[in-house]
Amino acid sequence: MGDRRATPRTALPAASFGAASVDIYAPQWRNFIFVAPFLFFFTTLLLVPLFWGMWLSFHKADTFSSGNFVGFGNYIRLFHDKVFLQSVWNTFYFVLLTVPTLALIGLFLALCLNRRTRTAAVLRTLFFSSSVLSVTIVTLIWRIVFIPNVGLLSTIYGWFGATAPAFISDPSLAMIGIAIATVWWCIGLPMMLFLSALQQIPQDIYEAAALDNANRWQTLRSITLPSIKRTFVLVVIVQIVLQFQLCGQAWLMTRGGPNNLTKPIVLYIYDTAFRRWDLGMGAAASEVLFILILMAAMAQYLVTRNKAGQA
Amino acid sequence: MKMKKVLFAAVSAGVLMLASPSLAATELTVQRFFGACDADFGTNTDVAKAVGECGIITSLINKFNADNPDVHVNVSTVEWPGYDQLTAQFASGDAPDIVTIHESVLSDYQSKGLLMPLDDLLKSVGVTPDAFTDAARNGATKDGKIYGLPIDSWTMLYHINMDLFKQADLVNADGTPILPKSPEELLAQAEQFKQKTGKPYFVQNLANETALYTRNLYTYLFQQNSDFFADPKHVKLNTPEAKKIVEMYKAIFDKGYTTKDLDYGGAINAFLAGGGGVQLNGTWVVGDNNAQSETKGTALNKGGYAVYPYPQLFAGAHAQYADGHTWAVSQKDRTPEQTAAIGKFLKFFADHDFDWSRTGHLPAYKAIIASDAFKALPHRNTIAAVADLGRPLPSAVQRQFAIQDIVGEEMSAAITGQKDVDAALADMESRVNELLANI
Repeated sequence: MGDRRATPRTALPAASFGAASVDIYAPQWRNFIFVAPFLFFFTTLLLVPLFWGMWLSFHKADTFSSGNFVGFGNYIRLFHDKVFLQSVWNTFYFVLLTVPTLALIGLFLALCLNRRTRTAAVLRTLFFSSSVLSVTIVTLIWRIVFIPNVGLLSTIYGWFGATAPAFISDPSLAMIGIAIATVWWCIGLPMMLFLSALQQIPQDIYEAAALDNANRWQTLRSITLPSIKRTFVLVVIVQIVLQFQLCGQAWLMTRGGPNNLTKPIVLYIYDTAFRRWDLGMGAAASEVLFILILMAAMAQYLVTRNKAGQA
Repeated sequence: MKMKKVLFAAVSAGVLMLASPSLAATELTVQRFFGACDADFGTNTDVAKAVGECGIITSLINKFNADNPDVHVNVSTVEWPGYDQLTAQFASGDAPDIVTIHESVLSDYQSKGLLMPLDDLLKSVGVTPDAFTDAARNGATKDGKIYGLPIDSWTMLYHINMDLFKQADLVNADGTPILPKSPEELLAQAEQFKQKTGKPYFVQNLANETALYTRNLYTYLFQQNSDFFADPKHVKLNTPEAKKIVEMYKAIFDKGYTTKDLDYGGAINAFLAGGGGVQLNGTWVVGDNNAQSETKGTALNKGGYAVYPYPQLFAGAHAQYADGHTWAVSQKDRTPEQTAAIGKFLKFFADHDFDWSRTGHLPAYKAIIASDAFKALPHRNTIAAVADLGRPLPSAVQRQFAIQDIVGEEMSAAITGQKDVDAALADMESRVNELLANI
């Protein structure tokens, strides 16, 4: 408000004869034109599908027709479906496997590579480079690593006369295999976020610590980590939102198997809505995922709001 | 004078532009699976030179385009089976004109009015359903009408490495392989095979697989006269017959009579490298396997390659699960020229079904099965019996691919020990019935 008072409220000098003063901040409908393209696409591609999905989730609908209103029927079916409950657990398990790993390895890499040397610059580029690959390429690479008999892992184990773990088909290893591929793929963004946070810590604090004879571990614990605490929270929340949407890796590496043990919610939605044509139930599962991601996004909002309040 | 020339040129160009639509070829969009092999067969029109499903179908379409300058077929190749994409295309009103659809899937699209009945069109080009084999005609007929031009019947087979069978003493005096006649014999022979060769009897693609498990279950349910789909809307799979089958495959898995962690490509490579005695795979690899057996230095060349229908393990019907591929036509408004072009395309494939049968699939036409040319193809004397043995699920059963996934997932869980056999069969039955109840 203070800023607004400081600026002139009229476009014309007060001395102008007979001219009515114009409030340049008054709403002007023609300004709507500037945001209209965005609003058009926001409405057609986001709002309409969002509410249409909600409407569908209360109907018995298939891909080619929308049928009767069934109330919460689809939701009741959904929560009685063992595969759906398994897919919810799978998604949480995957988030649990990947998010802490991404945060910790990202932080470790950032700490190691936060220096102005050519080697560090090359390694930063190298670690970030996997992030630019598409999910198809990433899964292809990791299938070549994991594939039995002829894969890279099998070959290496073969040198020692051992059998490689079956990361694609073993029920207890399949999700870990997908998590390894995902961490390799996604590590670039956390590393970069941590790097940018590390580079914002004022150097004079480190100089003061050096004068106090603080060792490296003390510096890390008392200066570095507290300074990047908020970035750490941000990385965790961003990764939770991203990893909740697991789909491509699971589809391309294991097809959700063995026996749905790597089927995440997004793949369940795809399977139900587009392979079984049960659009109503697929829409209901989408709403559940929407609420889960919304909760993560709200957490992010609360964290960033508290930061603003403290600032 | 100059003006006259300009005027003349403009009029000429205008006439040409008006005339060009009548000279243009009728465009057809064709969507198919069977893989992509343009590097090898992209321009080949000599179908006799082509091998394998992909090579033969690519060459056939090339030949159709070359033989019919008034029609141009644009091919879109999709990953097998391509139904997710096709469903989305239908939903958005952008379906191809002609598309490969399994007989088991036709009813999904036909029941929604998305496919064109082909009886009149086929009749207009001289193709009549009485020329089809019984299996093909029944598979392509829904509600009394033909909804796809059948091009084959396919099933799963025992692909056998005869060198390893000889090592295992599983060969008759006449050189044919000794195959089991009961589940007990199967386990005994698998044990003997493992003892003598040190290799698993079966090469199966069990890694995250569903189709193989399901086809095996259906086959041996048929052989026990189990009418598990007596009601197309309600399946009965939690039965003693199904339990026998699952327990048999579980014993095979537990005792190491099969490869375990291979995917489809890995299983093919393992079999071709001599990694086991019997590969459970379809009719579509007969041509490729036979070509391997004729190549010196390969594992199949060493002692020979044989291929048989699944052995009769139970005392019931002589039957095994079968399906077929068809060309279906999407329902949409078309000009008479476009409809005629589709008729030409279908007639071409009906006329060239022998070429397609070189893949290993069984022909969809009685005359071809009876022909000397077909009988002269390698291994057809052993697998032609499938024309009589082959049995699909009842055509009124919808969502057969989705059902296949559920059955396969639960079988896999039971066989690999993730679930108790009874629990897996109970879940299998309830999940399929839940799906069918909500169509």
